[in-house]
Amino acid sequence: MLILSVCLIFFLTAMMLFVLRVVQPKARYAWLIAASGATAAFLGVALWLAQMPFQLSLSWQPKALFPAPILFSADKISWALSFSVAALTLAVVFAAARRPLLINSLSWAGALLLGGLGILATAADNPLALLLAWAALDLAELIVQLRSARRKKDSEQISLSFLIRAFGIALVLWAYIESLAGGGNVLFDSISPNAKIYLILAAGLRLGVMPLHLPFAADSALRRGFGTMLRLVVAAATLSVLGRVQISATTFSPLWILLASVAALYGGWMWLRASDELNGRPYWVIGMAALSVMAALNGNPVGAIAWSCALVLVGGALFLSSAQDPRLKYALLVGGWTLSSLPLSLTASVWNGAFNLFAIFALVAQALLIAGYLRHALRGGLETLDGQPSWAKAVYSAGIVVLLAAQLLLGFVGWDGAFKFGNLLLALPASILALLLFGASKRFRLFAPMRAQWSGGEGEKINNLYQWLGSLYGGLTQSLRFVAELLEGESGVMWALLFLILFISILARDI
Amino acid sequence: MSAPILWIAVPFIAGVLILFFFREEYVAYLGGAAATALALIAFVIPIDAALLLGGISIKIAPSVEVFGRSFSLPAADAPLLTMIYGSAALWFFGAKVSRSAHRFVALGLIICALLTASIAVEPFLYAALLLEIAAMLTIPLLAPLYQKPSRGVIRFLVYQTLAMPFILFSGWLLAGAEASPADVNAAIQSGLLALMGFAFLFSVFPLYSWIPQIMEETAPYAAGFLLWALPTFTAIFALGFFERYIWLLNTPQIAAAILFSGVLMTASGGLFAAAQRHLGRIFGYAVVAEVGLILVALGLHSSESANLVFLIVLPRSLELSVYALALSVVKGAAYRLSFDDVKGLIRKYPIAVGALIVAHLSLAGFPLLAGFPSRLALWRELSAQSLTAAFWVFFGMAGLIVAAARALSALVAADDDAKWQINESWIQSLMLGLGVLGIFILGMFPQMLAPFLANLPQLFERLAQ
Repeated sequence: MLILSVCLIFFLTAMMLFVLRVVQPKARYAWLIAASGATAAFLGVALWLAQMPFQLSLSWQPKALFPAPILFSADKISWALSFSVAALTLAVVFAAARRPLLINSLSWAGALLLGGLGILATAADNPLALLLAWAALDLAELIVQLRSARRKKDSEQISLSFLIRAFGIALVLWAYIESLAGGGNVLFDSISPNAKIYLILAAGLRLGVMPLHLPFAADSALRRGFGTMLRLVVAAATLSVLGRVQISATTFSPLWILLASVAALYGGWMWLRASDELNGRPYWVIGMAALSVMAALNGNPVGAIAWSCALVLVGGALFLSSAQDPRLKYALLVGGWTLSSLPLSLTASVWNGAFNLFAIFALVAQALLIAGYLRHALRGGLETLDGQPSWAKAVYSAGIVVLLAAQLLLGFVGWDGAFKFGNLLLALPASILALLLFGASKRFRLFAPMRAQWSGGEGEKINNLYQWLGSLYGGLTQSLRFVAELLEGESGVMWALLFLILFISILARDI
Repeated sequence: MSAPILWIAVPFIAGVLILFFFREEYVAYLGGAAATALALIAFVIPIDAALLLGGISIKIAPSVEVFGRSFSLPAADAPLLTMIYGSAALWFFGAKVSRSAHRFVALGLIICALLTASIAVEPFLYAALLLEIAAMLTIPLLAPLYQKPSRGVIRFLVYQTLAMPFILFSGWLLAGAEASPADVNAAIQSGLLALMGFAFLFSVFPLYSWIPQIMEETAPYAAGFLLWALPTFTAIFALGFFERYIWLLNTPQIAAAILFSGVLMTASGGLFAAAQRHLGRIFGYAVVAEVGLILVALGLHSSESANLVFLIVLPRSLELSVYALALSVVKGAAYRLSFDDVKGLIRKYPIAVGALIVAHLSLAGFPLLAGFPSRLALWRELSAQSLTAAFWVFFGMAGLIVAAARALSALVAADDDAKWQINESWIQSLMLGLGVLGIFILGMFPQMLAPFLANLPQLFERLAQ
C-alpha cells in the first residue's frame, strides 16, 4: 500500500491543482498545495526504508485469462531510483518558487503527475507493470510535447520519437511473450536469458543509445523546470528495468557493448562541448544512459541503477540551477564527486561488473561527462534572484540542496549500492582524466563550446544517418501499395480467388 | 411477450418507423434510447423466468415460431443481447455527431434486428440468409441515393453473397456427415466448404480488398458500423457453428487453417496499414488485423477460445465507434482523408485527432488501452502453442503502431506557430471524450468485462471444454 499511497499523493495533488486552475485560476496558494504534495510524497518514499522489502500486487479478471499479476515492489534496488524521482519532483516544485506563482500551476500538476508515474515505473517488478507504466509515461510525454511544439519539424520529430519509444515497449512485450511460451507467471527473474537482452535493448532504444540517435532533439520548447522533469523521469523510468535483470554474456554481448560505448563517447563529447547545460541535456541523457546500459550488459545491475540515479540527481541539480548564486555554484561540485565513482560515492559500485576492453571507453566517457558537468556547473546561472522575496530564495535553494543531499545520502544508506568502496583502480584514473579534460576545455579550441542550435546541428547529422532506412521503408511501402492496388483493381476478384484456391489446395493436400 | 419479438421484431419495426416517419434531428437520440432500453432489458430482466414487479408478473418466453421456423433466444443469450444493443446504442448516439443520422439509425436498427435473428434462428443455417440480407441492407448506408455504388461496395456484396452458398451447402453436407460419421470424405468436404464460406464472411486474406476501398470511398461512420457489425455477428455465428460441429475444430488441419488465416490476416493487415497514406484505409486495415485476431482466437486449441473471442469483440465496438466518429469529424474538416489533406489538423481539431490516435493505438494493442488486455491474453495462449504464430501477430500489431505514428506525423504537421483551436462542437467533444475515457478504463480495468465473460461458457459449453 505504501507504493500506492505515494503515487496517490502525487496524483491527487496534481488533480487538485488542475481543478484549482479551472475553478479558481488566481488562487495564490496553488504552489503551497503543490509543495505540500511533493514534500509528503518525498517523505513517503523515504519512509519505505522502514518497511522494505514490500510489494503491491494488482490483478485483472478473469483469472483464467490473466493469471499474471501487475506487480510493483520496493526493495534495495528500486528504492534508490524511486527516491531520486521523488527528490527531483520536490526540487522542481521548490525551484518554481522564484517564478510568478499564478501562471504555472498546470506545469506543477504535470510535474507531480510525471513524478507519480515515474515512481510506478521505477517500482515495476514484472514486465506487465513496466509496460503499463512506460505506456502511461509515453502518452503523457506525447501530449505534453505536442502541446509545446512550435515548429512543424519539431512536431514530426515528436511522432518519430513516440514510434521509437513504442518499439521499446514492443521489445519488452516480445520478451514477455517469449517467456510466456515457457509457461508460468512471468517475473523479471523468470524471463529466459535470451529474452533478457530484449529488455536491455528496449532501454537502449528508448533513450537513443542503441542504435545511437537523438530522441529528444525536439524539446527546445520545454526548457528548465518541467522539461527537466520530463526528460529525467522518462530516462529514470526507462533505465529502471536495468536493475531488474542479471545479464549473462552471450555471443552478441560485445556488439551491444560496443554500440553502447559509441553512444557513451558521443554523448560525453557532445555534453562537454555543449554551449550550455540545457542545450547539452539530450547528450547528458544519452551519455549517462549508455554508461548505465554498459553496466547492465557487464552483469552489474546495481551499477546500472547507480548511473541512473546520478543521471536524475546530478543532472536535475544542474538543470534546475538557473540563478546566479555563488554558494549554490560551488555546492554543485558535489555532483562531480557523485559522478567520480570514488569510494562511498553514489556511483562507487559502477565498476563492479565484468572488466573488459570496453571499460576503457566507459572510463573515457565518464571523464568527459564529469568534465562537462564541472564546466557547466562552474559557469553559474544567468538569472538573478534579486528582487525575489527571501522565502522564495530559500525555498529555491532548498530544492537544489535536496538533490545534492540525496546524492550524498545514497552513497551511504538505503540500497545495494550504498557504502561501497568500489574499484579505485578505475575510479581514480577516470577522475584524474576528468580534471585534465576540464582544464583542457578552458585552454584548447578543440574543446570550445559549440554554437547553440536546435536545427541543422550535430544532432540532426546523427539522425540523418537513418535517412537511408527511411528510403528503404519508402520502397517497401510502394511495393505494398502496388499489391493493394492489384487486389483492389478490376482483376482483383480473380487474384483473390486464385490465392484462395492455392490456399485450399495446400490445405487439402495436408488433409 | 417473447424474447425474439422483443429483440428482433421491436427494433426492426422501430427502424422502419424511423425511416419513414421521424425527422432527422431526433432520430439519433431515439435510436440510441431504443437500443439502450433493449440492452438494459436484456441485462435486468431474466429470459424464461417470472419476474414480479409489484403485483405484476412478467415472463419473457425464449422462443417463437414463424413460418415453421423457430427463433430462440434462451436465458444464456442475455449477455450477448446486452452487448449487441449496448454497442448499437453507442453507434446510434454517435450518429448525431457524424451528421448522417436518419438513414443510419433506421437501417442500423433493422440490421441489428436481422443480425440478432441470425443468432436466434433454427435451423441455424438460415443465419447465412439473414447475414446476407443484412449485408444487402448496408448498401443504402454506404452508397448515397441515386448514385452508382462504388467498386468497394459492389465487391463487398459479391463476397458476402458468395459466402452464402458455401455455408448452406456445407450445412447440408454436415447434416449427412453427422448421420454417417464413418464417411470421412464427406466430413472433410463439408469442413472445407464451411471454411470457404467463413473465409468470405470474415474476408480473410486476400478477400478483404473491399474493406480499405469502402473506407476510402464512403462515409467513414457508416462503413465503420458495417465493419463492427458484420465481423462481430459472423464471429458469434462461427462460434455457434463450431459449437455444433465441434469435431471440425478438433480436426487439427482445420483448426490450423483457421489459425493460419487469422495470423495471415493480422500480419498482412498490419503491414498494409503501415504502407498507407490515407486515414480511412489505415482504419480499414486495422479492422482487418483485428478480425484476424478473432480468427486466431477461434483457431486456438484452447478451452478459452470463446472467452478470448468475446474479450476481443467486447471493447471493439467502443474502439471502432470512437475511431469512426473521429474520422467523420476529420473528414468533415478536410473533405478527404489522405495525409496531404489532413496535414496539421491537430491544431484545429485536437479532440478528434487525439481520439483517432488513441482508438487506433488501442486496436494496435498499445498498453493501457482497451485492446491491450485481449491481445495479452491471446498471446499467452498462442505463444504456448506456436511462438512463430505469436511473432507474426506481434508483427501485425507493430505494423499498426507504425501506421499510427505515420498518421500522427501527418496530423501534427501544422505550419510553424499555428494557433491551437477547438472546432469540434460540444457534443462531438463530449462523445469523443467519453469514448477515449472508456478506452482507457477498459484498458486499465478489463475486469469490467468479467460479468459478460462469466456467463459465456453456458452458451458455448462444448467449446469451453
